[in-house]
Amino acid sequence: MLDIIRFVISAALTLAGLFCLLSGVVGVYKFRYALSRVHAAALLDTVGILLMLLGVIVATGFTVASLKMLVVIAFLWLTSPVAGHLIGRLEVTINDELSRDADVLDQDYVEQEKVPETTTTPADDTQEEAQ
Amino acid sequence: MTEAYNILFTGALIVIGVLLLACLIRAIRGPRIADRVIAVNMMGTLIVISICILSFMMGEGWLVDIAMIYTMLSFLAVVLLTKVYMGIYREKRRQREEGQQDA
Repeated sequence: MLDIIRFVISAALTLAGLFCLLSGVVGVYKFRYALSRVHAAALLDTVGILLMLLGVIVATGFTVASLKMLVVIAFLWLTSPVAGHLIGRLEVTINDELSRDADVLDQDYVEQEKVPETTTTPADDTQEEAQ
Repeated sequence: MTEAYNILFTGALIVIGVLLLACLIRAIRGPRIADRVIAVNMMGTLIVISICILSFMMGEGWLVDIAMIYTMLSFLAVVLLTKVYMGIYREKRRQREEGQQDA
C-alpha cells in the first residue's frame, strides 16, 4: 500500500514536470523575439528540473544519490538566473536595432549606449544579420 | 511495482528525447545568437534530467555525479559563449570604427 502511494506521488510529480518541460519548449517556439524566449527557457531550468528530480527522488528513497540530486537542483537554481541575465545582456549588447525588435526599452540606456550605433551604414547592418 | 516505474520513466525519457530534438532544431534555426545559446542551455538541463532518470532505472548511484558535473559544465559553457560572442562583437565594432576613420 505504501509502495502504491509512493508510486502515485512520484508519477504525479514526474507528469507535472513533463508538462512544464513541454510548455517551456513550446514557449521557445511560440515567442516572437529572443528576449522573450529567455523567459520560456527559464521555466525549464527552475520548475521543470525541480518537479522531475523530485519525482525521481521520491522513487529512489532516502539515499546519497537523492541527496546529490537535491544538490543538482540547488546548483541549477543558483546558476540559472545568472545564465539568463548573461544571455539577455548579450542580446541587448549585440542587437543594433533593439528598438525595432523589442517593445519595452530603458530609454536612458538607449540614449547613453546606442546613439553612436545608429551612425552605421545599412550595408554593415545587413552583414551583421547575415552572421 | 518495478515495472510500473519502468513504464513511467521510459515514457518520460521518450518525451525528453523528443524535446531534445526540438531544442536542437531551435539551436540550428535560431535567427539570433542568443537563441542558440538559450537552446544549448535548455539541452543541458534536459540531459541532466535524463541522466538522473537513468541513474534510477539502472540502479547506479554514481551516474548522479555525472549529472552534477554536467550541470556545472553547461553553466560554464553559457558563460563562456556569451563572453566570446561579446568579444567578437566588440572587435568587429572597433574594426568598423577604424575603417570609418580611415575613409
